[in-house]
Amino acid sequence: MLFQAVLKRILIGFATLFVVSIIIFLGTSLLPGDVAEIILGQMATPESLAALREKLGMNHPPHTRYLLWLGNLLSGDLGMSKAGSGAGTIGTEISVMIAPRLVNTLRLAGMVALISIPLAMSLGLLASMYPGSRIDRTITFTTLSIISIPDFLVAMILVMIFAVQLGWLPSIAYMSGNETGWQLIRALLMPTLTLVTIVSAQIIRMTRATILNIMSSPYIEMAILKGVPRKRIILRHSLLNTIGPIVNVIALNLAWLIGGVVIVETVFAYPGLAKLMIDGVQTRDLPLVQACAMIFCGTYVVLIMIADMASIISNPRLRHPK
Amino acid sequence: MKEVRDLQQKYVDGSINRRDFIKAVGALGIAVSAAGSLLKATDVMAKTPKKGGSVRMASNLHGPDDQMDPIVMTSNVDYTRAHTNYNGLVQMRDNMVVSPELAEEFSPNSNATEWTFKLRKGVKFHDGSSLTADDVLWSMNRHLGEKSPSVIKGFFSQVKEWKKMDSHTVKAVLNSPDSDLPAKLTEKQAKIVKEGTTDFKKGNGTGPYRMTSFEPGVKSMHVRNEDYWRETGNFDAIELTAITDPQARVNALIAGDMHMISDVDAKMIKLIESSNGVSVNSTKSGRYGGICILNNTAPGNNPDFVKGMQLIQDRERIVRSILKGKGEVGNDHPISTAYGADHCYELPQRQYDPEKAKYHLKKSGISSAELFVAEVATGIGDSCLLMQNNLRKIGFDLKIKKVPTDGYWGAVWMKEPLNVVSWNMRPTANSMLDIQFAPGAAWNDTFWNNERMGKLLKMNLAETNPAIRHEMFCEMQALVSMFSGMVIAYHTNVNDGVSDKIHGIPVNPLGSIGGCTWPEFAWMEA
Amino acid sequence: MSIDEKIKEKITSFEELPDAPPRRKIRFSIGGKIGIFFVFFWIVMVFIGPYVSPYNEADILDESLFIVPGGEEYPDTDYQPPSKVAFLGTDYLGRDTLSRILYGARTTIGISFLATLLAYLLGVTLGIAAAVGSEWLDMFLSRFNDAFLSIPTIMMGLVVIAAVGSTIPILIGMTGLIYATSVFRVARSLGQDVMVSDFVEAAKVRGEGLWWIITREILPNVVMPLATDFGLRFVWIILFISSLSFLGLGVQPPMSDWGSMVKENLGGLPYGSISPLMPSLAIATLTIAINLIVDDISAHSGGKLSNRMI
Repeated sequence: MLFQAVLKRILIGFATLFVVSIIIFLGTSLLPGDVAEIILGQMATPESLAALREKLGMNHPPHTRYLLWLGNLLSGDLGMSKAGSGAGTIGTEISVMIAPRLVNTLRLAGMVALISIPLAMSLGLLASMYPGSRIDRTITFTTLSIISIPDFLVAMILVMIFAVQLGWLPSIAYMSGNETGWQLIRALLMPTLTLVTIVSAQIIRMTRATILNIMSSPYIEMAILKGVPRKRIILRHSLLNTIGPIVNVIALNLAWLIGGVVIVETVFAYPGLAKLMIDGVQTRDLPLVQACAMIFCGTYVVLIMIADMASIISNPRLRHPK
Repeated sequence: MKEVRDLQQKYVDGSINRRDFIKAVGALGIAVSAAGSLLKATDVMAKTPKKGGSVRMASNLHGPDDQMDPIVMTSNVDYTRAHTNYNGLVQMRDNMVVSPELAEEFSPNSNATEWTFKLRKGVKFHDGSSLTADDVLWSMNRHLGEKSPSVIKGFFSQVKEWKKMDSHTVKAVLNSPDSDLPAKLTEKQAKIVKEGTTDFKKGNGTGPYRMTSFEPGVKSMHVRNEDYWRETGNFDAIELTAITDPQARVNALIAGDMHMISDVDAKMIKLIESSNGVSVNSTKSGRYGGICILNNTAPGNNPDFVKGMQLIQDRERIVRSILKGKGEVGNDHPISTAYGADHCYELPQRQYDPEKAKYHLKKSGISSAELFVAEVATGIGDSCLLMQNNLRKIGFDLKIKKVPTDGYWGAVWMKEPLNVVSWNMRPTANSMLDIQFAPGAAWNDTFWNNERMGKLLKMNLAETNPAIRHEMFCEMQALVSMFSGMVIAYHTNVNDGVSDKIHGIPVNPLGSIGGCTWPEFAWMEA
Repeated sequence: MSIDEKIKEKITSFEELPDAPPRRKIRFSIGGKIGIFFVFFWIVMVFIGPYVSPYNEADILDESLFIVPGGEEYPDTDYQPPSKVAFLGTDYLGRDTLSRILYGARTTIGISFLATLLAYLLGVTLGIAAAVGSEWLDMFLSRFNDAFLSIPTIMMGLVVIAAVGSTIPILIGMTGLIYATSVFRVARSLGQDVMVSDFVEAAKVRGEGLWWIITREILPNVVMPLATDFGLRFVWIILFISSLSFLGLGVQPPMSDWGSMVKENLGGLPYGSISPLMPSLAIATLTIAINLIVDDISAHSGGKLSNRMI
């Protein structure tokens, strides 16, 4: 029974990925201005455009290009970007471009998750243990305020304080490539700090809400009526039931850390994957945009799949919903 | 004060000594005390460049399409890499003087229809091979022909062919005279690469630095080329990157994470100047942001409408409050005072005159228009908003449609009836006017085809008498200003942020940080 | 208060239902009351903002207004501190910050509200359809929805705007579509929970029709959580649109919206200008206020809420 439900969830994941690939391919084809126009920019002329288009192989019909692309994708070939190609010469393999960016993205996401998840979950738990208390109010108000400020302003304020005024940390996350240990961590501290602030605020809110929610379900009320102490109820009775929703919250935040942090990457000039994709959109490097988008969507689909399995396991009713 | 600069250059080169310098400066009517401070400033220039140090520079834009193929380079970070890795036949040294580089000598025939370049011997590419006429021929031929993807092929449209005379001599044969050819060859796109190169990412050139790594859209790293053919190239290592967010770029300079940044927003100049250890390097330039009003369609085909748009420009205020003084007012033609003698001082300056503007707009019968704006040039968005505000006061409704810069050149520029444009300064006044206003030119962005203009451009290239040449330039500037449909309210300086430790940046207004030529000449205080 | 009334109205309709969960009266805490005050304040400003503001949002103030006796002939007008001329100071171009915030209330709240409404219209319709419809319909809708949901929102925004341009209708339509995906998830899962609940199973056993179950059991039971979710979604949308403005996308100048105001005045921060902080404060007061109200409602509702607010 459980095995079947999990298997079904995995199949659903694959189906989603297939739909994703179609959406991404169609979506990116909608972008106006083709690669050739973008490469030549202000200096384009009809002749140089035609010449470059031919060289970039942009003359096939769309469905052929989709099938070719999907086939290559399945065989692990992400395709070629026009990056650094110059006129009429070979470009760069996308996998080569993406690999270091992916490492950077995972490194940053890892550092943020490592700090913010334990921190945020304990604070969320703390707030929900004493709802309405001074601790709860402080936590609630602080997190609300942080959530309500646009993230680029949060980043800029932190830079003004820690880099420009105090001079403790570098203002950008620039890496020469030979940093190790502490140097590396130091270079990453500013964006990490910013993201921890933003992500923690989200997780705290959601953890608190989830637990309070479970606290109001009938079996907990029963426990309260029986006179079980509140702390004990949270830690013994409700925590187990919150696993499903909270794993979902964490999964969503992780997915966001992989694909949604473009503003932080821009402000700190951090060469992550999200920035690469934005650059790809701006330069109409379609193969690159498609590859990045597939990575983001794939990550999301897998993370949510894991979270859903946790929900299935924790709530037997969801094993056969209809 | 061109004379003073020439003297400074001579002093720096060592061709005159201290006493001669002061004497010569005095002869120009400059007080001795001022001469002293000039000497001090010149001493800094003359300080023997120190070798060593590792420098980091952040440009304003980069992306996965960063190029190492010179002929398709379009961004500052590319241009800077062109100067680390490659050399040209000739180069622009301080104050816009064309000097020899890979060509030891260059000379025209009597009517400038042929140019001969004698190549330096013993120059080696980074891969160890020697520079020969074949490499030059191959590199130059890439700019020729209808199908060439070169972004400056328009400069060489009058080149009939490049000829190899012997292993170290080449000759350009032209269809019509061109006295500006060497100046055009100083462009970054005209750098010399190895014959038959297919993978440009290695950056195999003859330049002062070798590339150790190149990640498009992230950074590139360079180390000194120990086999370089001359004594320049002072840094041990150079790292080139870009920080696209203007505020973050300035923060990085102030916090000491970068030694140089390009394109400082005018609003942040005060901030840099009030911070320790960094300063703004502001160079007067012909760079401008302007409004193109297309001539071949409404409303630009109505001369009164164009007049109204030109008269509503509050030029003084733009320079004062938007450029913070780092620029000069424009006179609706591209030749600013930075072009020196070629600028037409005789042409009266167009002033802000809302009454007259109202009169002309009323006469035109047009009461609203739509202007497409992308942040393609310093201050262009803000100056358009100021214009919109002033037009609103006289009852004209200008709608501004803000569009992203990516895709702008393909989708909007030269297509929408009213759009904005940015032009960098070109090496000569003629090449600037020619590229934008020659009848039928590929980038004639207001579709203004004037026969007289075309004639003047050609005659001007063949003319050698400076007075007559100036007269021709004046007529062309007047024509553009009156009839072309361009609104050029201001010229902006090239503003860059530089650490006080960096010296020796060439004075070159053609691009950011000494026209991107700094890698070879700048040096770092230990 | 509209939300309040809506909720009360729905609560009374609960009484007809035999097996629906019990209702409780909402009592607002101090935070909730402050929240109601601010929401009310901004709703008023949406209607009267432009009429009470000292200048037009597009006015670039004249230099002559800032001349102090004995000072410069042409003083700076940008990033000016608060004064009698401009109560909250001026922005990067010398426009009055207060006027732009007051005008911006209409743009910001209007766009976000319409986008949220659109998201709900689409999301709830399809979500409930998926929850009660055939397995194939659910499968089809859910896969498409998951696929859209998996694309990072900001990337999707960027691509859409790069493809079709940035006008207010496009901004509303795009944001509505993007957020419809998450509303769909919430609505579907709420609907499903109700579908597997005891009282619906009982109704099925009683032999009630599908339409009866939707209108009598599902909708009344999901309205309350959805109303709360509406508030939070509205907040996300305000913040999403301000993120877009960081990437240079948003309303057309000289119109003001709060997010763009923060972005365009960021450069004033190092000079100690309050021009980027004021619009940010406006966003914060509104979003915090909505959150405080939602907190109160969800604390008292007893329904399954927050774990779906994702």
